[in-house]
Amino acid sequence: MLEIKNLHARVNPEEGEAKAILKGVDLTVPAGEVHAIMGPNGCGKSTLSYVLAGHEGYEVTDGSVSFLGEEMGELEPEERAAKGLFLSFQYPVEIPGVPTLTFLKEAANAQLKARGEGEISAPEFMKFARENAAKLGISSEMLKRPVNVGFSGGEKKRMEIFQAMMLSPKFLILDETDSGLDIDALRVVADGVNALRSPERGMLVITHYQRLLEYLKPDVVHVMADGRIVKTGGPELALELEAEGYEKFTGAAA
Amino acid sequence: MGVAPQLSAFEAALAASLPAGELRAALETAGLPHRRIEAWKWSDLRAALAKAPARAGMLSVNASRKADEITTLDRQPDLLMPRLAAGLSEGCPVYALKDGESLSLDFEGSEGASHHIAAVNVPAGVSATLHERYRVVAGGFANIALRIVLGEGATLTRIVEQDASPNGVLVVTTGIDLSPRAKLHQTTLGFGAKLARLETHITHAGEGAQLVLGGSYLVASGLHLDQTGIVRHTGTNGATRELFKGAAAKGGRGVFQGKIHVEQAAQKTDAQMNHRGLLLGDGAEIYAKPELEIYADDVVCAHGNALGAVDDEALFYMRQRGLSEARARAVLTRSFLAEPLDAIEDETVREALLARLDAALEAVS
Repeated sequence: MLEIKNLHARVNPEEGEAKAILKGVDLTVPAGEVHAIMGPNGCGKSTLSYVLAGHEGYEVTDGSVSFLGEEMGELEPEERAAKGLFLSFQYPVEIPGVPTLTFLKEAANAQLKARGEGEISAPEFMKFARENAAKLGISSEMLKRPVNVGFSGGEKKRMEIFQAMMLSPKFLILDETDSGLDIDALRVVADGVNALRSPERGMLVITHYQRLLEYLKPDVVHVMADGRIVKTGGPELALELEAEGYEKFTGAAA
Repeated sequence: MGVAPQLSAFEAALAASLPAGELRAALETAGLPHRRIEAWKWSDLRAALAKAPARAGMLSVNASRKADEITTLDRQPDLLMPRLAAGLSEGCPVYALKDGESLSLDFEGSEGASHHIAAVNVPAGVSATLHERYRVVAGGFANIALRIVLGEGATLTRIVEQDASPNGVLVVTTGIDLSPRAKLHQTTLGFGAKLARLETHITHAGEGAQLVLGGSYLVASGLHLDQTGIVRHTGTNGATRELFKGAAAKGGRGVFQGKIHVEQAAQKTDAQMNHRGLLLGDGAEIYAKPELEIYADDVVCAHGNALGAVDDEALFYMRQRGLSEARARAVLTRSFLAEPLDAIEDETVREALLARLDAALEAVS
């Protein structure tokens, strides 16, 4: 479903020199599978999620990404979104003055339009919103508030999963969705993510800790260090990392 | 006093249309306001009118009702532009508002130069609305002066709409007196002109009087909107809240000059002024000059001013959810600009102004 080959990317800051961050990532996530990427801070995990989503601050210098058999190349972020790629942000952005449901309805319709499908009706959308909000314990009052404004870290992450449910993407990237969550919030978010698992949907879960993976039970765990995948294994790899730390991998990558 | 300027053909004709006297001499000596005058440094009226046709123009004033009387002002304005408006108008219509009344004044200037003055009185204890709308077409110049007096405990909601007038020049100078315990809530929605200046001078008597002054502006390419506001607190316990938010597209120019002046007698004044500007592209211009001038020692006064661009991370976030870049920009700009308009209490008026803002945003993006 998602195929990343020899991906090299660098960040082009407004000031200062470009810096290579991804240095040859190879990764394949078939439909129906959940893959985790673990790695120390600064290894390139979050950069990978931004590059996959088409962030303009990063430049792909080599390699390729294909999604559903189609090269992502230079596609705009909104084109990738319309193809079914959803990124749950590590730091969801606040958008004052724009009510959450208004925003999501517009996003959903923009994606439908880009795919040549008809718009979703308002009653249908509201019904779907109520169902999904109930699954995540989100109140109708929260949905009326502007996107992410005044929400706690945990609430923002819950809203990210809510947005994913509303947009029904084909592929989810969860960037450090567990950061800033206490154990109860973590469980709610993980239940939401598990509800999104399906044979047609792939997921890439980026995390620093093993904690989230206890709930999500990934099919495959990758270890990333210095801009590459340095080891791939089963769920036991996450436990190994938790017990022994990242040092032996960062050492191996040096 | 410097060397007498070379008057433009427009200024010379304007001077010639005035009777000999102080006003004519003032115009002949100094000419129209221009960029070397501090208060007009970002709005060069002289340059904007240098090639304008000097003949008398047409100004249609559509009022929702007849004036109560036509009179002459008991006191001439101090500033040149309203003085010209007074000097070149035939009498001054006066509207005395009744409780619960909503008066609308719709001004349209067309080809040629026109001058007009009007007065609105809100008697003590009366609560009313004044809704003005300004546009100038066909290369015209409209110079309008308004005099508004709020009596004790009077409440006025003033809405000012200034339509995009790419071929026109507009100067509106409003002098407002706020009596003790009076309340004024003024909101402007402006889109600029070849040059437009909305200048407001408010004398704030305090004693529980409250002023809420706000506005949104959006200037497209080739348009210029200057909002200059001076609030003078003269009595104790006055409150002022100002919030102006504006956006300029590439080639558009916004100007905000705000001053709060607190006289020594105006102890316990509580005044805040904020201006936020959004630059929508390279070559967009917003100039801001917020000033506090305080002579009383027991006051709470603050001002803030910030200029920036649309937040890239917010743009990326919205695009990741499927909105086009143009649409994401428009949504962010709209939510930024809507804040001063959201404070309008009357839902119908608020929605109408927001709809105008949306239409203008659509045209800009």
